[in-house]
Amino acid sequence: MEMNDNPSGERKKQCSDESKCFELLESILDGELQDSGKEVLKEKLAKCQPCFEHYHLEQAIRDVLKTKCTKHAVPTELADRIREKIQDII
Amino acid sequence: MSEVQRRKYSQEEKNAIFDGEFMPHIDSMYNFGYRLTFDEDDAKDLVQDTYLKAYRFINSFEQGTNAKAWLFRILKNSFINEYRKKSKQPAKVDYQEVETYYNSDDVHYQTTSDLRAESVKDMLGDEISNALNSLAVDFRTVIILCDLEGFTYEEMAKILDIPIGTVRSRLHRARNLLKEKLQGYAHNMGYNTDEED
Repeated sequence: MEMNDNPSGERKKQCSDESKCFELLESILDGELQDSGKEVLKEKLAKCQPCFEHYHLEQAIRDVLKTKCTKHAVPTELADRIREKIQDII
Repeated sequence: MSEVQRRKYSQEEKNAIFDGEFMPHIDSMYNFGYRLTFDEDDAKDLVQDTYLKAYRFINSFEQGTNAKAWLFRILKNSFINEYRKKSKQPAKVDYQEVETYYNSDDVHYQTTSDLRAESVKDMLGDEISNALNSLAVDFRTVIILCDLEGFTYEEMAKILDIPIGTVRSRLHRARNLLKEKLQGYAHNMGYNTDEED
C-alpha cells in the first residue's frame, strides 16, 4: 500500500497492491474498520484510480442490496400460530 | 451464544424475553427463511421451528445479548440439518464442496469485472433480487446476513460457525459472483460496461 504524495493531484492508473487495498476497502465498507480506516480511505481514493473505482462499485452493490431487494411481508397468521404452539408446550 | 445453561428464567421472564427480544425479529427471520428456501410454506415452517426451539432452549439465551444473531443461528442450523435433508431438491452446491474449495482465507482481491457503479445504481429491485437468488446458498447467505441484515463479521462468524477470515473471504467471493450476474444484466440492458464513458 503506497502512500506516496502525488503533487499533480491526478490519480494513478495502476494500483501497486490491488489485492491488499481492495480487501481493506471492502472491510471499511462493511464497517469493520472505523476511525483507523477513514484516513487510509481518504488517501486511497484521492490517489488511486483502481481503488476509487472499486470502492464506488462495491458501495453501489451494497446500497442496491440494502435498498432494492424485495422484502416479503410476514404472513399475518404466523406470529399467532407460533404463540399457540408455545402455549401447547408450556 | 454458548449452549451452557446459565440460569433458569421464571415463566414470566421467559414470556418477557420471547415477546420483547425474540418476536420483534420475525420479519427478518421470515425473509431469511424465504431467501433460503424460496417457498412461503417452507419459510413459515423454518421460522416456526426456530421460535419453538428458541423457547425450548431459552435458558441458554443470555438476556441482553444479541437475540437476533442467536435466532439466526438457530434458523440456519435448522435449515442445514432438517430442511436440506427432507428437501426434494438437492442443494446446487454441496456444502462440503464449498467448505473445501471456497473457504480458504487466502483470497486474491482483484478487479473481476468491468461492471460500473452507475449501471448497478440503475438496476431494478427484481434484477438485484434475481441475481442474489441465483447464487449458491452459502454465498447467498453471507450477503443476506451482511448487506440485508447488517450483521458484523464477528456476528456472522458465530451464526455460521466459521472463522472471521472465512466470513471475509466468502463475502468477497459472493459479491464477485453477484457482480458477474449483474454484469450479465448490464450487458442485456445495453449499458456500456467496457469503456470509460
